[in-house]
Order: sequence, then structure tokens, then C-alpha cells
Amino acid sequence: MAGLPVPLPSAKMAAVEKRRPAIAPAAGFTDSGRPSMSRAAATAENEEDFLRQVGVTKMLRAALLKVLEARPEEPISFLAHYFENMGLSTPANGGAGEPPGQLLLQQQRLGRALWHLRLAHHSQRTAFNNNVGVAYECLSASGRKKKPGLDGRTYSELLKRICRDGEAPEEVVAPLLRKIQCRDHEAVPLDVFRTGMLTCFVLLEFVARASALYQLLEDPTLAVADRRMGQAVLDTLEGALQASNSATAPAHYLEAGSLLGPDNLALAMDRALVARRPSSPMTREEFLEKAAALFIAKVKPVG
Amino acid sequence: MMLSPERLALPDYEYLAQRHVLTYMEDAVCQLLENKEDISQYGVARFFTEYFNSVCQGTHILFREFSFIQATPHNRASFLRAFWRCFRTVGKNGDLLTMKEYHCLLQLLCPDFPLELTQKAARIVLMDDAVDCLMSFSDFLLAFQTQFYYSEFLESVAAIYQDLLSGKNPNTVIVPTSSSGQHRQRPALGETSMLEGVEASLFYQRLESLCDRHKYSCPPPAVVREVLGNVQRLTFYGFLVALSKHHGTNQALGALPDKGDLMHDPAMDEELERLLAQIPDLVNTVTASPEASCLPSRTPHRAGFSWRTLHHARKVDAESDGSTEETDESET
Repeated sequence: MAGLPVPLPSAKMAAVEKRRPAIAPAAGFTDSGRPSMSRAAATAENEEDFLRQVGVTKMLRAALLKVLEARPEEPISFLAHYFENMGLSTPANGGAGEPPGQLLLQQQRLGRALWHLRLAHHSQRTAFNNNVGVAYECLSASGRKKKPGLDGRTYSELLKRICRDGEAPEEVVAPLLRKIQCRDHEAVPLDVFRTGMLTCFVLLEFVARASALYQLLEDPTLAVADRRMGQAVLDTLEGALQASNSATAPAHYLEAGSLLGPDNLALAMDRALVARRPSSPMTREEFLEKAAALFIAKVKPVG
Repeated sequence: MMLSPERLALPDYEYLAQRHVLTYMEDAVCQLLENKEDISQYGVARFFTEYFNSVCQGTHILFREFSFIQATPHNRASFLRAFWRCFRTVGKNGDLLTMKEYHCLLQLLCPDFPLELTQKAARIVLMDDAVDCLMSFSDFLLAFQTQFYYSEFLESVAAIYQDLLSGKNPNTVIVPTSSSGQHRQRPALGETSMLEGVEASLFYQRLESLCDRHKYSCPPPAVVREVLGNVQRLTFYGFLVALSKHHGTNQALGALPDKGDLMHDPAMDEELERLLAQIPDLVNTVTASPEASCLPSRTPHRAGFSWRTLHHARKVDAESDGSTEETDESET
């Protein structure tokens, strides 16, 4: 299958239907025991019409495009989430009767924006930028009488949600939020919004990796790391961050992080070990906070 | 989320094919057309949500047609897992079943499951002959798993084996003394077994290149190497038995727990007990074993019947091999 060109889904779907016409319960069309060619074709055509009318064709095409844009590792669970979100945003007929309140609407909008933002990893820049654009529109089209646009309050709320869901400790990300937040009634332009989102996601990944790093340093019995060791790693990290002098795109910090070869780190840690003196412990929180501070120091404040 | 550059670099259609995205999308549409009433009630998005969730959970293969069940590696693994979960109690009770009975169980989950496949699995357990013997659940399951999951691969293996047997391979000379020097270090062990089957190193060479170019799932090459590296000569069924019993095969497939844990699933046992406790009247009939509905009732004495002797007989078989597999090969 790998080498074959894949036909468009609609064409292939029709082929599938032709192969098994008797199963589809299109009443009155397939009632006879022996399906004739023309009947089978008619059924297939009929079903294609049906799929178009119900909106399935359009829905699947959009879903497929999203899959191709995001290239998720697990496309099937991606699709499950995709349709789940779609079901939430457009309740089925007969579903929720009255329109939801303002607050609920706002929450739904935030949820949808978040969902779009998470469709693609930030390193897939084109897909990520597209999704940022869609999220921005979701939040801006507020439906209220006020002029459309995204205000600082919603933007800050979104940033907080992302950080909270990213499971980074609050004190670690708080300095970043202070730096990239806007005032509540300020209008947030798209480029500020995009930079904010990107920085936020990159920081979360940075913190996740710093956390993995700490886990290696951690003494499993004491649940803390040696301070000299932690400091040596942080210093190496700082050195690498300063080495990349292009201070524009936050992604460069990640690149610099990858420059931290294991040998470099090992050397630093070895030096710390050799100069062994009685040392105090360093907690995970402190390590993460210090590591994040190195990153956040490089972020340009908004406005 | 970790990055996987390989996935991002693939052309669109290859990415979709590799992950069988279109297979599931098509099937979702077929299912939708078969359940039009559902969508008028719940909406299309909800229908698709549930469909794709069930694919993720592996419950989408229950009671589906065979062509779908074998359509993707994920479907095959899901089916194996479902089979194990549903009928694990057979193994727990120590019941031994015949090939036909296992086939009944398979058909409970997949009504058009082909008998041929069950037969092939049984031949792995029983070393080709005596297909109506009794088998333990875990023996059958492991053999069945290999046969079902790797069936295309095994077909190619059978063809290669035939080639080697009939000396079609240009490099092959079946006479042991003429094989390349380094394989002749060890003295021949059993004189008789030397003449059966094919030479392992040649077989391995052919299988290695098969694994390289095979477009279907293959067992991990390291496992194949290990299986073939331990012997000088082996027969087709000798290979299949070793492959299906190798824990690396089971691990790579990932559908079932380790052999030792096949009967061990405390979470589900608890769940079962909880359910049974709710229906005290049914306890006796339900615990009697799940196959009760489709199989002839098993008389108690059979549970302990000749498990040891059967097992022993099979071991003997494995060592001094059956000579009938050639005839068997020709029919596959």
C-alpha cells in the first residue's frame, strides 16, 4: 500500500460502496438479491449525494486537510479530538436549547482557540501560524456589539490557560506572563498575539526539558539534587544561551539548548564533583525557576 | 510532543498510507451510511468522534467483517487483544480446546473468520500434524498471533522455504558438508535431523532480505536472527514454533502482555467479580466458561486431560521433526 498513489477519498469511498452495495440500507434500492451494475452505481451516486447533503464530504475534506497540515503522530486520536471539538462548537439539532450565557460563550471561545493552537507543534511554523490566525479570529469575533478585536483581558486569560495546562509551576511562568501580557483594555494586534503564543509554548517546552534534566540530577531517595551539580548545569545552560547572540526569535534559544552537548555538560558536572565540598540541596522548583529565568531574560517585553 | 522529522518529511500520500488514515476515514463513512438513523439523532460530528475514539481504543473491530479486521496492523493487534480479553478465562480454567473450538471462539468476534487461518495457527502449535488435538489457550494464542499478524510475511517465508528445499536457490546445496566453512565448526548433533529442513544460515540470508523489502509487517529482524542463529538446520514449522514462542515477537507486536502474564489481569478480574456479584443467580452459568454458548459442554475430566503428555509429545516433535511439512507447504 505504501507505494501506491492514494486516490481522493471521495472517489475511493464511491469504489467501496460499489463493492458492497447490498449492505447499505438505502431502502428500495437494494432490495433484490442480485445487485445489477446499474443499480449498484445508482446507489453509490445516491449515497454520494447523501453525504454531500449532510455535509460529510465537506467535513471530511476539512479534517483531512487539518491532518495533513499538522501531521500528528497519532492521526486517529487527532481526528477523534477534531470531531469532538466540532461537536462541542456546533451542538446537534435538538441539543442545547437556549443560547448559552456570555460567560459560557467566552469559555467556549477560549476552548476552541486553545484547541486550534494545539493542533500543530510550534516547530511546524506554517501550520502553527495558520492555527494562531484561526485562534485569533475565534477570539476576536466576539459577536457582541462592541467593535471586533481581541482585548488584553482575553489574551491574558488565554496565556494563563496555556501555562496552566502546560503543567509548569506558576511561579516559574509568572515572570513571562508579566513580560508579555497586555493591559486588560488594550487591543491586541495579531503579531503581538502570535509572538505571545509562540513564546509561551516554547517556554513550556523549555520547562519540560529542564524538568527532565533535573530528574537526571535528582537523588531518588532524597528527592532533591546537589546544589553544585544543579548550579553547574545552569551555568552551562546560561553560557549556551548567551552564545546565541541573535536575540530575535525565541526558537533560537532552543537551538542553543541543543548545543549543550552531553560532553560539555559532563565536563561541567565533573568539575563540580571534583571540587567537592559540603553542599546544600536544590529543589526542583528552584532549578526550574532559575532555568526559566535564563530563558525569560531573553524575551522582549510587549509594548 | 516530540518531533519526528521522518513523519514530517514524507509526501502527503505516504504519510496517510503509512498511518492508514484513509482506510479509517472510508470505513467511518461506510459505517455512517449503515447507521443513518444515528446521525439524524446525534449529528455527524458526534458519530465521527465516537468512531475514531473506538478506533483508538481498539474496540472498532468487534463483530466486524474479516476483511476489515485484517486491513491494518492496528486492527490486527486490536483483534488479538480483544480475543485475549474475551476468552482469557478459557486459559485460566485450564481448559484445552481443539482447533474447531478455537475457531468458534474467533467467530464469535468475527463471524466470517476464515477456518484456514485457524488451521494454520493450530499447525504451528501441533507441528503440522494431528490438527484435531487439544491445545492450551496460551499456546494457541501465541501461535495464532504470529500467524494472524504476520500472515503475508509467513506466506513469503513458506515460498522461500520451498525454494530452498527444492534447491532453487542458486547458492544452495542442501548437502551439509558443502556449506560455507564457518558454519561447520560445531559437530553435527543428531544425524537424522541434519537431513531435515533447510540450512539455517541460508534461510536467514533469504529472510533478512525479505524483511528489508517487505511492505507488510515483519517480525523484528533481531528475533529472526536469534531464532535461526541457534540451530544449524530447521524446518518450516520449527521456525514458526520458535518465532511464535519468542518473547521478542510478542513484545514487538505489543497486543498481548508477556506470556507469564497472559492469565494475569487483576483489574479485569476485579471488574468481572464485581459484575458477577451484581447478578448472583448467574454466577454458576457464567463462570462455567464463556464458550458454553457455542461449544459442546466440556466434561470435567478433560480439563486435566493429558496436558503433560500432549506437551511432551509436542516437544519430542519439535526435536525430531515431522517430515510432512513439505506436502503441507504445497497447499499454501
